Amino acid sequence: MLRYALRRVLWAIPTLLATSLVLFFVTTLAPDPGSPGTDDPLVEEAHRARFLDLPRFVNANPQDVRSRTLEALGHLASGDGRHEAAARELARLGGAALPYALPQVESLPPDARGRVAVALAPVAERMGLAQADELRRPGAAALFWSRFWDDRALDFTSTAVDRAVGRLVEHGSDLRENDLLSLDTFALPEIIVAMAGTTDGVALERLTRIASHVTERGPVLAADATREQARRAVADWQEWWFVHETDFVALDGAARAVAVVTETRYGKWMKRAASGELGVSAIDGEPIAEKLRARAPITLLVCALAMLLSWALAVPIGALGAWRQGRAFDLASGAVLFVLYATPTFAVAEVLRRLTVGQAVSGGRVTLAVAALAVGSVATLSRWQRAAMLDVVRQDFVRTAHAKGLSAWRVAVVHALRNALMPTVTLAGLHLPVLLGGAFVVEEVFGLPGVGFETLRAIEAHDAAWLMAVVLASAVAVTLGLVASDVAYGALDPRVREELARRQGGRTA
Amino acid sequence: MSDDRFPHEPSVAIDLSRRKEPSAGRGVRASLVEVRHVAAPYVTMTRIALAQLLRSRLARAGALMLACLALVAIFADVLASDLPVACRWRGAVYLLPNVTHPAALSGVDCAAMRRDRGPGDWLLAPLVTRGPTEAGDDVEVLLPPLSSGHPLGTDSLGRDLFARVVHGTRTALGLGLLASLALVAIGVAVGALAGFVGGPIDALVARAVESLSAIPTLVLVLVVGALVPHPTTATLLWTIALTRWTELARLVRAEVLSALGTDYVTAARALGASPGRVLLRHALPNAIGPALVAAAFGVASVVLIEAAVDFLRVGSPDTMASWGEAMGEARSHAEAWWLVAFPGAALLTTLVALNLVGEAARDALDPKLRGVGAEMGTGG
Repeated sequence: MLRYALRRVLWAIPTLLATSLVLFFVTTLAPDPGSPGTDDPLVEEAHRARFLDLPRFVNANPQDVRSRTLEALGHLASGDGRHEAAARELARLGGAALPYALPQVESLPPDARGRVAVALAPVAERMGLAQADELRRPGAAALFWSRFWDDRALDFTSTAVDRAVGRLVEHGSDLRENDLLSLDTFALPEIIVAMAGTTDGVALERLTRIASHVTERGPVLAADATREQARRAVADWQEWWFVHETDFVALDGAARAVAVVTETRYGKWMKRAASGELGVSAIDGEPIAEKLRARAPITLLVCALAMLLSWALAVPIGALGAWRQGRAFDLASGAVLFVLYATPTFAVAEVLRRLTVGQAVSGGRVTLAVAALAVGSVATLSRWQRAAMLDVVRQDFVRTAHAKGLSAWRVAVVHALRNALMPTVTLAGLHLPVLLGGAFVVEEVFGLPGVGFETLRAIEAHDAAWLMAVVLASAVAVTLGLVASDVAYGALDPRVREELARRQGGRTA
Repeated sequence: MSDDRFPHEPSVAIDLSRRKEPSAGRGVRASLVEVRHVAAPYVTMTRIALAQLLRSRLARAGALMLACLALVAIFADVLASDLPVACRWRGAVYLLPNVTHPAALSGVDCAAMRRDRGPGDWLLAPLVTRGPTEAGDDVEVLLPPLSSGHPLGTDSLGRDLFARVVHGTRTALGLGLLASLALVAIGVAVGALAGFVGGPIDALVARAVESLSAIPTLVLVLVVGALVPHPTTATLLWTIALTRWTELARLVRAEVLSALGTDYVTAARALGASPGRVLLRHALPNAIGPALVAAAFGVASVVLIEAAVDFLRVGSPDTMASWGEAMGEARSHAEAWWLVAFPGAALLTTLVALNLVGEAARDALDPKLRGVGAEMGTGG
């Protein structure tokens, strides 16, 4: 039994992978906010935030801080048309670029060396080592950087930074903060990691201040910030880091090999989806994962209650209809259920809402939403139940049970219904997507603040991150539901387990 | 769904085995006649199914309802339009200007024509002289049914509800039919490919089917509509067609697989039929039944989803008349019951009719369920 369950769960993995590919394709439908090279930094940022600068599936040559630095150096050295953009890029990369830029500078011709040194002047200013004015002359700037690297090269190692950040978090002082500031962006990886690891207000203030200073962006926490504010600011920094990590980190050896796959649009998207970090909402800057966690219980509650209610009604109705096949009850319930089966959930919900306007309903809107959602499910499930029961009723063991002289009640419930329940269990899994879609509708009609309600707000605001997260979450929920219903079916019926073992393909044929 | 659907197919095999006998000639011909005689009721599955379908009273009722709806959709412009069906205006005669919308008549409508009619001008007005997208003036907002000129009342923009319901029929059925055709084409092609080629392609299709059927269609349609830069009705159509083929593909694959295992396919192969011929002539015809049933239910689900999306996204810039949109508008106008009742009735009628036909077709084509029907028939 355990083997069967495991097997079924494992078979869900390729399905989920295929789902991720489908959803990844859906993400590509969203319009490109703009291409790089435009002057508007906001547009370029939006472009990068959706990883549109990365290739789709395979990144043969992943960019990192070293390749970016060397490219900028190349443009600066040749002094071609793009040397101004290259100078800006070098200033942005900052301290993280120095270990790759400064050793190279020595081998450049004097005028190129001067241009690079001047381009790095804003970095020196950020580090608090010199005023940009002092470094405007190429000669002075080149001399400054050559001395700087002679003195400080040993500080530019990750172990040194790690220790410095650790000390700052434990007992911070302005001196230690300045130490880190003088490393500029080189310290960013450790700082971002440290942010997630501490809840101390003072430490967070120092960390975010450094990060904000060296990147010239982003929120700085006040030391007396609330927990909520702190959480949000850290989430914002982590989100930014997820997009910009390779600007400040070099990919070596194994990391480079992995980056061929992960530094792609699909890789980034998958990494985010798999880690449950789904980005930040465009409406209010709230992390999507948090929002989803807050809203999902309402949707799941409505779905679960509707499912239970429709089971409780559908099983007896369907079974009785089949048992009394062709009689008044069967025909009447069949006709009513047929019409209900065809009625859209939104119409049921809207009519129900109109009928109950101004009236107190016990349990309020949830009750109404569950009732509206259950109507369609009752119709579907009871029709399945009836068909399953009809199949069973005609079988020999039921006739045998009758012949043994058992009461009709006992035959119907113990012999027939027990067997007729099983197909309905699996089919109930197939019904999940419909139920979930219906839950979105009833939430909107009755104003329940669940996932569906929020999704319709996100549609108005074109909040792509939330929308993608919702499709992903519902697909995963449905897949898990299918697995659960298959496992339940297998637990009830050993023949199913053998079938799966034979077929190996889950529910394919 | 069981794979051995057709238990009565030995006819071809018998035929071939007799032919091998050395004493051919008359004996073979006689046996062939005999076999044909015995096999006749089983061979023409389609004919039996069709007869069964026509016998079903519910199916006929559904088909009749659908025919009426189709007529409404086709003649929507005759039932409700701002231009006349035929007219003479400023000395020129126009036929069906409500369909062709000639440039000479832009800016005029039936009311204006009646008002400043010149000598010799005449017009044959449609049933309701308002188009579905034409907004009315302030007096005409939210008129109840049976108001003058508006048999079903108006909506919150003063648009005539009758015109919107009538033209909504065209939207719903047209979209449903197109999406359903696309869906059936994809489903049959993919299912046939998976069943016929097998191996890795089959596994790939199986994964695609599983993953696509795990995504709630309504949610996906809403999300795609929000992500695409300029969503149109075609977006909705393709979203549904590209994700809802899975059920049909599974059925077609099963049909093709079961056909490939039969003796008549073995015989065809033995006689040197090409794979293409085996697929098209021997395997795929078995899938016509599921395809038809899927088409009927496909139309129903497209109509339903289109209505639900328009209901939820009311106010989106979409000028097409749609039942769902009218019902969505009613959400902010509690007193306007007619905005729910009439489009809702039209929607329900369409869905019930499609389901009636679809289910009758399924019952007629599925031998397992056919037994059920026969039993019910004899039992009264």
